[in-house]
Amino acid sequence: MSSTLSLDFQYTASLEKIWSALTDSSKLAKWVMENDFKPVVGHRFQFRMQPTNGWNGIIDCEVLIVDAPNRLSYTWASLGQENTVTWTLQDLGDGKVNLHLEQSGITNDQALQGAKYGWTNMCGQLEKLLEQ
Amino acid sequence: MSENNQLRDVFDAIADPTRRRLIRLLAESEEMPLHELTAHFQMGRTAVSKHLTILKEAGLVLDRKVGRETRFRLNASPLREIQDWVAFYSKFWSTNMLRLNRLLEEEDE
Repeated sequence: MSSTLSLDFQYTASLEKIWSALTDSSKLAKWVMENDFKPVVGHRFQFRMQPTNGWNGIIDCEVLIVDAPNRLSYTWASLGQENTVTWTLQDLGDGKVNLHLEQSGITNDQALQGAKYGWTNMCGQLEKLLEQ
Repeated sequence: MSENNQLRDVFDAIADPTRRRLIRLLAESEEMPLHELTAHFQMGRTAVSKHLTILKEAGLVLDRKVGRETRFRLNASPLREIQDWVAFYSKFWSTNMLRLNRLLEEEDE
């Protein structure tokens, strides 16, 4: 049973450039959130945004994989959910790159088991149910 | 996460494949009694009944008595919470990807 949010995006840019956008803290801040990311396995960092009602705006992370310029992975913990974000870059040729995002809930915490299933690609099926 | 008066988290309720299958079965029919539902599983009525109770606690299943029989039907609205949750992250990343695209373009200039 998949428990992963899986998305693909294509960009016209070099692998290195996209890698840099994923791993350079100041660039990362421009398209994700303020952070103290470092591309070092084991580095703990936070993404921070404006706190909202019921959320302190902080996402706690730890770098798991740094395999330049192809693969980057870190944990992503917030609001009691523990996920793993994994980026996979693939050169499609013609200057195009496919950027694949997987966000999986790999936590072994029983209490979060339900949340894990929220990440499954059940959206289509649920939508059908909701329309009924 | 849940703001409804549900006894049970809807994410918990759908975490089990049997319960997801029950939801599916009920989605495909108006109403079904326990024995008809049980016929779809390799488990006894008691086991299916326990799963139905969990779905009821999450507000996903409603039941009513018709004579001596209890009939079950789906109430899909709590699933909205799951859809919203998945949609939030889906939207979150899609928005950020557009920003990444802009960043990559800016760097070229």
